[in-house]
Amino acid sequence: MANGTWKIARRGNAQLPLVIVLALAVVLVLVGKAQSGLFDAARARITDWMAPALSQVRAPLDGAERWVASIGDIFRVYEENLRLKEENARLLQWRNTSVVLEGRLRHYEKLLNAVPDPELNAVLARVIGRASRPFLRTMILDAGAVHGARAGQAVMDENGMIGRLYLTGQHTSWVILLTDINSRVPVSIAPGQVQAMLVGDNSASPRLDMLAPNVTVKAGDQVVSSGDGGLVPPGLPIGTVVADGEGFRVALLADAARSESVQVLNFARPRETVPAPVLPAEAAGLKPVPPPPPPSVATGAPKPLPGARRVPPAPASAAAPADPVEAD
Amino acid sequence: MGTTEKLYAPAALRFLAALVPLFCGLLGVVIANIPISFVGGAVPPPLLALVPVYFWCLVRPDLMTPAAAFAVGVLEDVMSGAPPGVWTLSFVLAYALVARQRESFAGLAGLGAVLGFAAAALASIAAAYLIVSVYYWQLPPLGPVVAQLAMTVAAYIPATYVVAWVHHRAVGPLRSDF
Repeated sequence: MANGTWKIARRGNAQLPLVIVLALAVVLVLVGKAQSGLFDAARARITDWMAPALSQVRAPLDGAERWVASIGDIFRVYEENLRLKEENARLLQWRNTSVVLEGRLRHYEKLLNAVPDPELNAVLARVIGRASRPFLRTMILDAGAVHGARAGQAVMDENGMIGRLYLTGQHTSWVILLTDINSRVPVSIAPGQVQAMLVGDNSASPRLDMLAPNVTVKAGDQVVSSGDGGLVPPGLPIGTVVADGEGFRVALLADAARSESVQVLNFARPRETVPAPVLPAEAAGLKPVPPPPPPSVATGAPKPLPGARRVPPAPASAAAPADPVEAD
Repeated sequence: MGTTEKLYAPAALRFLAALVPLFCGLLGVVIANIPISFVGGAVPPPLLALVPVYFWCLVRPDLMTPAAAFAVGVLEDVMSGAPPGVWTLSFVLAYALVARQRESFAGLAGLGAVLGFAAAALASIAAAYLIVSVYYWQLPPLGPVVAQLAMTVAAYIPATYVVAWVHHRAVGPLRSDF
Protein backbone atom coordinates (compact mmCIF):
# COMPACT_ATOMS: atom_id res chain seq x y z
CA MET A 1 0.00 0.00 0.00
CA ALA A 2 3.00 2.22 -0.57
CA ASN A 3 1.30 4.38 -3.17
CA GLY A 4 -2.10 4.22 -1.51
CA THR A 5 -3.32 1.18 -3.38
CA TRP A 6 -2.95 -2.52 -2.68
CA LYS A 7 -0.29 -4.46 -4.53
CA ILE A 8 -2.25 -7.39 -5.87
CA ALA A 9 -1.21 -10.89 -6.81
CA ARG A 10 -2.19 -13.07 -9.72
CA ARG A 11 -5.06 -15.41 -9.16
CA GLY A 12 -4.02 -19.01 -8.58
CA ASN A 13 -5.20 -21.71 -10.93
CA ALA A 14 -5.76 -24.61 -8.54
CA GLN A 15 -8.86 -23.47 -6.67
CA LEU A 16 -12.47 -24.47 -6.51
CA PRO A 17 -14.39 -22.38 -9.07
CA LEU A 18 -16.56 -19.63 -7.62
CA VAL A 19 -19.67 -20.95 -9.34
CA ILE A 20 -19.35 -24.33 -7.63
CA VAL A 21 -18.87 -22.69 -4.23
CA LEU A 22 -21.89 -20.45 -4.85
CA ALA A 23 -23.96 -23.51 -5.72
CA LEU A 24 -22.76 -25.25 -2.57
CA ALA A 25 -23.78 -22.22 -0.49
CA VAL A 26 -27.25 -22.21 -2.05
CA VAL A 27 -27.55 -25.94 -1.33
CA LEU A 28 -26.55 -25.28 2.28
CA VAL A 29 -29.33 -22.68 2.62
CA LEU A 30 -31.88 -25.11 1.21
CA VAL A 31 -30.70 -27.96 3.42
CA GLY A 32 -30.73 -25.59 6.39
CA LYS A 33 -34.31 -24.64 5.60
CA ALA A 34 -35.29 -28.30 5.60
CA GLN A 35 -33.26 -29.13 8.72
CA SER A 36 -33.01 -26.00 10.84
CA GLY A 37 -31.07 -27.88 13.53
CA LEU A 38 -28.22 -28.65 11.16
CA PHE A 39 -25.59 -26.81 13.22
CA ASP A 40 -27.19 -27.23 16.64
CA ALA A 41 -24.84 -29.98 17.84
CA ALA A 42 -21.79 -27.95 16.81
CA ARG A 43 -23.20 -24.81 18.46
CA ALA A 44 -23.88 -26.65 21.71
CA ARG A 45 -20.40 -28.20 21.70
CA ILE A 46 -18.67 -24.88 21.06
CA THR A 47 -20.69 -23.17 23.81
CA ASP A 48 -19.94 -25.99 26.26
CA TRP A 49 -16.28 -25.58 25.43
CA MET A 50 -16.39 -21.80 25.91
CA ALA A 51 -18.50 -21.88 29.09
CA PRO A 52 -15.68 -21.82 31.70
CA ALA A 53 -14.00 -18.87 30.00
CA LEU A 54 -17.30 -17.03 29.62
CA SER A 55 -18.08 -17.52 33.32
CA GLN A 56 -14.70 -16.07 34.25
CA VAL A 57 -15.07 -13.10 31.93
CA ARG A 58 -18.63 -12.31 32.96
CA ALA A 59 -17.87 -11.85 36.65
CA PRO A 60 -15.74 -8.70 36.32
CA LEU A 61 -17.93 -7.45 33.50
CA ASP A 62 -21.05 -7.75 35.65
CA GLY A 63 -19.26 -5.90 38.43
CA ALA A 64 -18.27 -3.13 36.04
CA GLU A 65 -21.82 -2.87 34.68
CA ARG A 66 -23.22 -2.64 38.21
CA TRP A 67 -20.66 0.02 39.07
CA VAL A 68 -21.51 2.08 35.99
CA ALA A 69 -25.22 1.73 36.71
CA SER A 70 -24.74 2.75 40.33
CA ILE A 71 -23.22 6.08 39.28
CA GLY A 72 -26.50 7.11 37.69
CA ASP A 73 -28.48 5.78 40.65
CA ILE A 74 -26.73 8.10 43.09
CA PHE A 75 -28.30 11.15 41.48
CA ARG A 76 -31.85 9.90 41.76
CA VAL A 77 -31.71 8.01 45.03
CA TYR A 78 -34.18 10.35 46.77
CA GLU A 79 -36.88 10.08 44.09
CA GLU A 80 -36.27 6.35 43.87
CA ASN A 81 -36.69 5.99 47.63
CA LEU A 82 -40.03 7.82 47.61
CA ARG A 83 -41.26 5.74 44.69
CA LEU A 84 -40.26 2.48 46.35
CA LYS A 85 -41.99 3.43 49.63
CA GLU A 86 -45.20 4.17 47.78
CA GLU A 87 -44.92 0.99 45.76
CA ASN A 88 -44.18 -1.05 48.88
CA ALA A 89 -47.31 0.24 50.64
CA ARG A 90 -49.42 -0.59 47.59
CA LEU A 91 -47.89 -4.06 47.26
CA LEU A 92 -48.55 -4.80 50.94
CA GLN A 93 -52.23 -4.08 50.37
CA TRP A 94 -52.21 -6.37 47.35
CA ARG A 95 -50.41 -9.05 49.36
CA ASN A 96 -53.15 -9.09 51.98
CA THR A 97 -55.77 -9.29 49.27
CA SER A 98 -53.97 -12.12 47.52
CA VAL A 99 -53.61 -14.12 50.74
CA VAL A 100 -57.37 -13.89 51.33
CA LEU A 101 -58.13 -14.77 47.71
CA GLU A 102 -55.69 -17.68 47.70
CA GLY A 103 -57.34 -19.18 50.77
CA ARG A 104 -60.75 -18.78 49.18
CA LEU A 105 -59.46 -20.36 45.96
CA ARG A 106 -58.09 -23.39 47.84
CA HIS A 107 -61.43 -23.76 49.58
CA TYR A 108 -63.34 -23.70 46.29
CA GLU A 109 -60.91 -26.14 44.70
CA LYS A 110 -61.44 -28.51 47.58
CA LEU A 111 -65.21 -28.20 47.32
CA LEU A 112 -65.14 -28.80 43.57
CA ASN A 113 -62.55 -31.57 43.80
CA ALA A 114 -60.53 -29.68 41.18
CA VAL A 115 -57.45 -31.16 39.59
CA PRO A 116 -54.44 -29.47 41.20
CA ASP A 117 -51.91 -27.63 39.07
CA PRO A 118 -48.85 -29.67 38.17
CA GLU A 119 -45.79 -29.13 40.30
CA LEU A 120 -43.01 -26.99 38.88
CA ASN A 121 -39.35 -27.75 39.35
CA ALA A 122 -36.96 -24.94 38.58
CA VAL A 123 -33.26 -24.88 37.84
CA LEU A 124 -31.50 -21.67 38.81
CA ALA A 125 -29.06 -20.71 36.07
CA ARG A 126 -26.63 -17.88 35.59
CA VAL A 127 -26.46 -15.86 32.39
CA ILE A 128 -22.95 -16.26 30.97
CA GLY A 129 -23.50 -14.67 27.59
CA ARG A 130 -25.80 -12.48 25.55
CA ALA A 131 -26.03 -11.94 21.83
CA SER A 132 -28.07 -9.27 20.13
CA ARG A 133 -27.63 -9.83 16.43
CA PRO A 134 -29.84 -8.71 13.57
CA PHE A 135 -31.36 -12.16 13.12
CA LEU A 136 -31.02 -13.64 16.61
CA ARG A 137 -31.56 -12.43 20.15
CA THR A 138 -30.37 -14.96 22.64
CA MET A 139 -28.73 -15.47 26.01
CA ILE A 140 -26.54 -18.35 27.11
CA LEU A 141 -27.07 -20.04 30.48
CA ASP A 142 -24.71 -22.19 32.51
CA ALA A 143 -27.30 -24.95 32.92
CA GLY A 144 -27.46 -27.81 30.46
CA ALA A 145 -28.70 -31.31 30.01
CA VAL A 146 -26.83 -32.59 33.06
CA HIS A 147 -28.84 -30.13 35.19
CA GLY A 148 -32.15 -31.22 33.73
CA ALA A 149 -32.54 -28.43 31.19
CA ARG A 150 -34.41 -29.44 28.06
CA ALA A 151 -35.29 -27.62 24.86
CA GLY A 152 -38.68 -25.91 25.09
CA GLN A 153 -38.60 -25.16 28.81
CA ALA A 154 -39.65 -21.69 29.93
CA VAL A 155 -37.08 -19.25 31.30
CA MET A 156 -38.09 -16.62 33.88
CA ASP A 157 -36.42 -13.84 35.76
CA GLU A 158 -37.85 -12.33 38.94
CA ASN A 159 -40.34 -10.23 36.96
CA GLY A 160 -41.66 -12.50 34.26
CA MET A 161 -41.01 -14.80 31.35
CA ILE A 162 -37.91 -14.12 29.25
CA GLY A 163 -38.13 -16.85 26.66
CA ARG A 164 -37.66 -20.54 26.10
CA LEU A 165 -34.69 -22.86 25.77
CA TYR A 166 -34.13 -23.89 22.19
CA LEU A 167 -30.73 -25.53 22.35
CA THR A 168 -29.16 -27.42 25.22
CA GLY A 169 -25.63 -28.70 25.47
CA GLN A 170 -24.26 -30.72 28.34
CA HIS A 171 -23.49 -27.71 30.54
CA THR A 172 -24.96 -24.73 28.67
CA SER A 173 -28.23 -23.70 27.04
CA TRP A 174 -29.31 -21.12 24.50
CA VAL A 175 -32.47 -19.13 25.23
CA ILE A 176 -34.64 -17.83 22.45
CA LEU A 177 -35.96 -14.53 23.79
CA LEU A 178 -39.61 -13.53 23.46
CA THR A 179 -38.44 -10.66 21.25
CA ASP A 180 -36.62 -12.95 18.79
CA ILE A 181 -38.04 -13.33 15.31
CA ASN A 182 -38.38 -17.10 15.86
CA SER A 183 -40.38 -16.82 19.10
CA ARG A 184 -44.04 -17.91 19.16
CA VAL A 185 -45.73 -18.31 22.54
CA PRO A 186 -49.47 -18.85 23.09
CA VAL A 187 -50.75 -16.31 25.59
CA SER A 188 -53.90 -15.40 27.43
CA ILE A 189 -54.98 -11.78 27.94
CA ALA A 190 -56.80 -10.90 31.14
CA PRO A 191 -59.51 -9.91 31.80
CA GLY A 192 -61.55 -11.94 29.40
CA GLN A 193 -59.07 -14.76 28.88
CA VAL A 194 -58.58 -13.72 25.27
CA GLN A 195 -56.31 -16.20 23.50
CA ALA A 196 -53.58 -14.93 21.19
CA MET A 197 -50.10 -15.66 19.94
CA LEU A 198 -47.13 -13.59 21.10
CA VAL A 199 -44.88 -13.19 18.07
CA GLY A 200 -41.37 -11.79 18.28
CA ASP A 201 -40.05 -9.63 15.46
CA ASN A 202 -36.67 -8.54 16.87
CA SER A 203 -38.19 -5.33 18.23
CA ALA A 204 -38.28 -4.54 21.95
CA SER A 205 -42.02 -5.29 22.22
CA PRO A 206 -43.35 -8.45 20.56
CA ARG A 207 -46.70 -8.17 18.86
CA LEU A 208 -49.98 -9.94 19.56
CA ASP A 209 -51.11 -12.04 16.64
CA MET A 210 -54.02 -14.34 15.82
CA LEU A 211 -56.50 -12.34 17.89
CA ALA A 212 -60.09 -13.31 17.23
CA PRO A 213 -61.93 -10.53 15.34
CA ASN A 214 -64.72 -9.99 17.87
CA VAL A 215 -62.68 -9.76 21.09
CA THR A 216 -61.92 -6.61 23.05
CA VAL A 217 -58.35 -5.91 24.03
CA LYS A 218 -57.18 -2.61 25.43
CA ALA A 219 -53.92 -1.11 26.57
CA GLY A 220 -53.00 -2.11 30.09
CA ASP A 221 -54.45 -5.61 29.95
CA GLN A 222 -52.28 -8.29 31.52
CA VAL A 223 -50.67 -10.96 29.34
CA VAL A 224 -49.78 -14.37 30.75
CA SER A 225 -48.85 -17.66 29.15
CA SER A 226 -51.86 -19.76 28.25
CA GLY A 227 -50.17 -23.14 28.50
CA ASP A 228 -51.54 -24.33 25.16
CA GLY A 229 -49.37 -27.04 23.75
CA GLY A 230 -48.21 -28.20 27.16
CA LEU A 231 -44.62 -26.95 26.90
CA VAL A 232 -44.98 -23.77 28.94
CA PRO A 233 -46.97 -23.73 32.17
CA PRO A 234 -50.08 -21.53 32.16
CA GLY A 235 -50.20 -18.29 34.06
CA LEU A 236 -46.59 -17.15 33.75
CA PRO A 237 -46.56 -13.33 33.80
CA ILE A 238 -45.31 -11.89 30.52
CA GLY A 239 -46.30 -8.22 30.26
CA THR A 240 -48.96 -5.64 29.57
CA VAL A 241 -50.71 -4.74 26.34
CA VAL A 242 -49.70 -1.53 24.64
CA ALA A 243 -51.52 -0.10 21.66
CA ASP A 244 -49.63 0.05 18.43
CA GLY A 245 -50.71 2.00 15.40
CA GLU A 246 -51.69 -1.16 13.55
CA GLY A 247 -52.45 -3.55 16.37
CA PHE A 248 -51.29 -4.48 19.83
CA ARG A 249 -47.90 -5.17 21.28
CA VAL A 250 -46.73 -6.32 24.70
CA ALA A 251 -44.43 -4.39 27.00
CA LEU A 252 -42.46 -7.18 28.64
CA LEU A 253 -42.06 -7.36 32.41
CA ALA A 254 -38.72 -9.15 32.22
CA ASP A 255 -35.57 -7.30 31.29
CA ALA A 256 -33.45 -9.74 29.34
CA ALA A 257 -30.62 -7.23 28.96
CA ARG A 258 -30.05 -6.97 32.72
CA SER A 259 -31.01 -10.38 34.12
CA GLU A 260 -28.07 -12.12 35.74
CA SER A 261 -29.81 -15.18 37.18
CA VAL A 262 -32.86 -16.87 35.73
CA GLN A 263 -35.05 -19.86 36.46
CA VAL A 264 -35.52 -22.67 33.97
CA LEU A 265 -38.93 -24.17 34.66
CA ASN A 266 -39.16 -27.91 34.32
CA PHE A 267 -42.80 -28.22 33.49
CA ALA A 268 -44.36 -31.53 32.65
CA ARG A 269 -47.98 -32.42 33.00
CA PRO A 270 -48.41 -35.51 35.17
CA ARG A 271 -48.69 -38.61 33.08
CA GLU A 272 -52.26 -39.82 32.90
CA THR A 273 -52.53 -43.43 34.02
CA VAL A 274 -55.27 -45.74 32.94
CA PRO A 275 -57.29 -46.81 35.98
CA ALA A 276 -56.83 -50.44 36.94
CA PRO A 277 -59.60 -52.55 35.46
CA VAL A 278 -62.12 -53.88 37.93
CA LEU A 279 -62.97 -57.49 37.19
CA PRO A 280 -66.63 -58.49 37.37
CA ALA A 281 -65.80 -60.94 40.17
CA GLU A 282 -64.28 -58.16 42.27
CA ALA A 283 -67.20 -55.88 41.51
CA ALA A 284 -69.50 -58.65 42.80
CA GLY A 285 -67.55 -58.77 46.06
CA LEU A 286 -65.83 -62.09 45.41
CA LYS A 287 -62.24 -62.73 46.36
CA PRO A 288 -59.98 -62.23 43.32
CA VAL A 289 -57.91 -65.16 42.09
CA PRO A 290 -54.20 -64.57 42.76
CA PRO A 291 -52.03 -64.48 39.64
CA PRO A 292 -49.98 -67.60 38.88
CA PRO A 293 -46.41 -67.53 40.22
CA PRO A 294 -43.71 -66.72 37.67
CA PRO A 295 -41.69 -69.64 36.35
CA SER A 296 -38.54 -70.27 38.36
CA VAL A 297 -36.49 -71.47 35.38
CA ALA A 298 -35.95 -69.10 32.51
CA THR A 299 -35.79 -71.76 29.80
CA GLY A 300 -37.93 -74.79 29.21
CA ALA A 301 -41.46 -75.58 30.33
CA PRO A 302 -42.28 -74.83 33.97
CA LYS A 303 -42.30 -77.91 36.18
CA PRO A 304 -45.55 -78.58 38.06
CA LEU A 305 -45.35 -78.02 41.77
CA PRO A 306 -45.53 -81.14 43.96
CA GLY A 307 -49.14 -81.97 44.77
CA ALA A 308 -50.51 -79.51 42.27
CA ARG A 309 -53.24 -80.54 39.94
CA ARG A 310 -52.90 -80.19 36.25
CA VAL A 311 -55.54 -77.77 35.00
CA PRO A 312 -56.87 -78.61 31.57
CA PRO A 313 -56.69 -75.79 29.00
CA ALA A 314 -59.73 -73.60 28.83
CA PRO A 315 -62.07 -74.04 25.90
CA ALA A 316 -61.68 -71.64 23.04
CA SER A 317 -64.93 -69.86 23.81
CA ALA A 318 -63.80 -69.05 27.36
CA ALA A 319 -60.41 -67.73 26.31
CA ALA A 320 -59.64 -64.06 26.09
CA PRO A 321 -61.11 -62.42 23.04
CA ALA A 322 -58.76 -62.41 20.12
CA ASP A 323 -57.71 -59.30 18.25
CA PRO A 324 -60.56 -58.02 16.12
CA VAL A 325 -59.12 -59.23 12.85
CA GLU A 326 -61.66 -60.55 10.47
CA ALA A 327 -60.81 -63.60 8.43
CA ASP A 328 -61.44 -63.47 4.73
CA MET B 1 19.64 -32.97 9.62
CA GLY B 2 20.62 -29.40 9.00
CA THR B 3 20.43 -29.95 5.25
CA THR B 4 16.96 -31.46 5.57
CA GLU B 5 15.71 -28.48 7.56
CA LYS B 6 17.04 -26.11 4.94
CA LEU B 7 15.26 -28.08 2.22
CA TYR B 8 11.88 -28.45 3.90
CA ALA B 9 11.53 -25.40 6.13
CA PRO B 10 10.62 -22.92 3.38
CA ALA B 11 7.94 -25.21 1.96
CA ALA B 12 6.45 -25.77 5.42
CA LEU B 13 6.52 -22.05 6.12
CA ARG B 14 4.90 -21.33 2.78
CA PHE B 15 2.16 -23.78 3.62
CA LEU B 16 1.59 -22.16 7.01
CA ALA B 17 1.67 -18.69 5.48
CA ALA B 18 -0.95 -19.79 2.95
CA LEU B 19 -3.24 -20.70 5.82
CA VAL B 20 -2.89 -17.32 7.55
CA PRO B 21 -5.72 -15.56 5.62
CA LEU B 22 -8.16 -18.38 6.34
CA PHE B 23 -7.05 -18.48 9.96
CA CYS B 24 -7.54 -14.71 10.30
CA GLY B 25 -11.03 -15.01 8.85
CA LEU B 26 -11.94 -17.75 11.32
CA LEU B 27 -10.42 -15.76 14.17
CA GLY B 28 -12.52 -12.76 13.16
CA VAL B 29 -15.64 -14.91 13.38
CA VAL B 30 -14.70 -16.14 16.86
CA ILE B 31 -13.89 -12.67 18.20
CA ALA B 32 -17.05 -11.09 16.80
CA ASN B 33 -19.27 -13.85 18.15
CA ILE B 34 -18.06 -14.02 21.73
CA PRO B 35 -21.41 -13.59 23.48
CA ILE B 36 -20.32 -10.65 25.60
CA SER B 37 -21.28 -7.06 24.95
CA PHE B 38 -19.64 -4.06 26.53
CA VAL B 39 -22.58 -1.84 25.61
CA GLY B 40 -25.36 -4.03 27.00
CA GLY B 41 -26.32 -5.43 23.61
CA ALA B 42 -27.34 -1.99 22.36
CA VAL B 43 -25.61 -2.53 19.03
CA PRO B 44 -24.89 -5.76 17.17
CA PRO B 45 -21.30 -6.93 16.77
CA PRO B 46 -19.46 -6.11 13.53
CA LEU B 47 -18.81 -8.70 10.85
CA LEU B 48 -15.09 -8.78 11.60
CA ALA B 49 -14.49 -11.80 9.37
CA LEU B 50 -15.44 -9.78 6.34
CA VAL B 51 -12.28 -7.66 6.69
CA PRO B 52 -9.75 -10.47 6.05
CA VAL B 53 -11.99 -11.94 3.34
CA TYR B 54 -12.13 -8.57 1.56
CA PHE B 55 -8.46 -7.73 2.11
CA TRP B 56 -6.95 -10.99 0.91
CA CYS B 57 -9.50 -11.38 -1.87
CA LEU B 58 -7.92 -8.20 -3.26
CA VAL B 59 -4.31 -8.78 -2.28
CA ARG B 60 -3.87 -12.55 -2.43
CA PRO B 61 -6.86 -14.23 -4.08
CA ASP B 62 -4.75 -17.36 -4.41
CA LEU B 63 -4.83 -17.64 -0.60
CA MET B 64 -8.30 -16.28 0.13
CA THR B 65 -10.14 -18.56 -2.27
CA PRO B 66 -13.93 -18.94 -2.67
CA ALA B 67 -13.65 -22.14 -0.62
CA ALA B 68 -11.96 -20.20 2.18
CA ALA B 69 -14.75 -17.59 2.12
CA PHE B 70 -17.21 -20.47 2.24
CA ALA B 71 -15.48 -21.94 5.32
CA VAL B 72 -15.47 -18.58 7.08
CA GLY B 73 -19.18 -18.17 6.31
CA VAL B 74 -19.98 -21.64 7.67
CA LEU B 75 -18.25 -20.82 10.96
CA GLU B 76 -20.16 -17.51 11.10
CA ASP B 77 -23.40 -19.45 10.67
CA VAL B 78 -22.47 -21.90 13.41
CA MET B 79 -21.35 -19.32 15.94
CA SER B 80 -23.87 -16.56 15.27
CA GLY B 81 -26.91 -18.81 15.56
CA ALA B 82 -28.28 -17.63 12.23
CA PRO B 83 -30.23 -20.03 10.03
CA PRO B 84 -27.80 -22.43 8.32
CA GLY B 85 -26.25 -21.09 5.16
CA VAL B 86 -27.28 -17.44 5.51
CA TRP B 87 -23.83 -16.00 6.16
CA THR B 88 -22.15 -18.64 4.03
CA LEU B 89 -24.06 -17.56 0.96
CA SER B 90 -23.79 -13.85 1.76
CA PHE B 91 -20.00 -14.07 2.28
CA VAL B 92 -19.55 -15.95 -0.98
CA LEU B 93 -21.74 -13.41 -2.79
CA ALA B 94 -19.68 -10.53 -1.37
CA TYR B 95 -16.53 -12.41 -2.40
CA ALA B 96 -17.91 -12.81 -5.90
CA LEU B 97 -18.66 -9.08 -6.11
CA VAL B 98 -15.17 -8.12 -4.96
CA ALA B 99 -13.50 -10.70 -7.20
CA ARG B 100 -15.46 -9.41 -10.20
CA GLN B 101 -14.45 -5.79 -9.60
CA ARG B 102 -11.07 -6.61 -8.15
CA GLU B 103 -9.05 -4.13 -10.12
CA SER B 104 -11.45 -1.31 -9.23
CA PHE B 105 -11.53 -2.14 -5.52
CA ALA B 106 -7.77 -2.57 -5.31
CA GLY B 107 -7.22 0.84 -6.86
CA LEU B 108 -9.12 2.64 -4.11
CA ALA B 109 -7.28 4.55 -1.41
CA GLY B 110 -8.13 6.56 1.70
CA LEU B 111 -11.85 7.23 2.08
CA GLY B 112 -12.44 5.45 -1.21
CA ALA B 113 -11.01 2.26 0.27
CA VAL B 114 -13.42 2.53 3.20
CA LEU B 115 -16.32 3.11 0.82
CA GLY B 116 -15.20 0.12 -1.23
CA PHE B 117 -15.30 -2.08 1.82
CA ALA B 118 -18.65 -0.53 2.78
CA ALA B 119 -20.01 -1.58 -0.61
CA ALA B 120 -18.84 -5.16 -0.05
CA ALA B 121 -20.29 -5.17 3.48
CA LEU B 122 -23.56 -3.74 2.20
CA ALA B 123 -23.74 -6.49 -0.42
CA SER B 124 -23.11 -9.15 2.20
CA ILE B 125 -25.56 -7.83 4.80
CA ALA B 126 -28.25 -7.06 2.23
CA ALA B 127 -27.93 -10.59 0.87
CA ALA B 128 -28.27 -12.00 4.41
CA TYR B 129 -31.32 -9.80 5.02
CA LEU B 130 -33.00 -11.01 1.84
CA ILE B 131 -32.22 -14.66 2.57
CA VAL B 132 -33.61 -14.36 6.12
CA SER B 133 -36.70 -12.56 4.81
CA VAL B 134 -37.39 -15.43 2.44
CA TYR B 135 -36.45 -17.95 5.12
CA TYR B 136 -39.01 -16.65 7.64
CA TRP B 137 -41.31 -15.10 5.03
CA GLN B 138 -41.40 -11.80 6.88
CA LEU B 139 -39.24 -8.69 6.88
CA PRO B 140 -37.03 -8.36 9.97
CA PRO B 141 -36.58 -4.81 11.32
CA LEU B 142 -34.05 -2.80 9.35
CA GLY B 143 -32.59 -0.98 12.37
CA PRO B 144 -30.32 -3.78 13.68
CA VAL B 145 -29.18 -4.56 10.14
CA VAL B 146 -28.19 -0.96 9.48
CA ALA B 147 -26.49 -0.84 12.89
CA GLN B 148 -24.47 -3.94 12.04
CA LEU B 149 -23.44 -2.42 8.72
CA ALA B 150 -22.32 0.75 10.49
CA MET B 151 -20.40 -1.24 13.11
CA THR B 152 -18.72 -3.33 10.42
CA VAL B 153 -17.61 -0.29 8.44
CA ALA B 154 -16.43 1.42 11.64
CA ALA B 155 -14.38 -1.65 12.53
CA TYR B 156 -12.79 -1.77 9.09
CA ILE B 157 -10.12 0.87 9.68
CA PRO B 158 -8.57 -0.61 12.86
CA ALA B 159 -9.10 -4.18 11.64
CA THR B 160 -7.47 -3.56 8.30
CA TYR B 161 -4.36 -2.17 10.04
CA VAL B 162 -4.07 -5.45 11.96
CA VAL B 163 -4.68 -7.50 8.84
CA ALA B 164 -2.16 -5.47 6.82
CA TRP B 165 0.41 -5.93 9.58
CA VAL B 166 -0.19 -9.70 9.59
CA HIS B 167 0.08 -9.69 5.81
CA HIS B 168 3.42 -7.93 5.79
CA ARG B 169 4.83 -9.97 8.66
CA ALA B 170 3.55 -13.45 7.82
CA VAL B 171 2.21 -13.58 4.30
CA GLY B 172 3.85 -10.81 2.35
CA PRO B 173 7.53 -11.76 2.70
CA LEU B 174 6.82 -15.28 1.46
CA ARG B 175 4.81 -14.41 -1.57
CA SER B 176 6.30 -15.31 -4.90
CA ASP B 177 3.56 -14.58 -7.41
CA PHE B 178 3.99 -10.82 -7.73
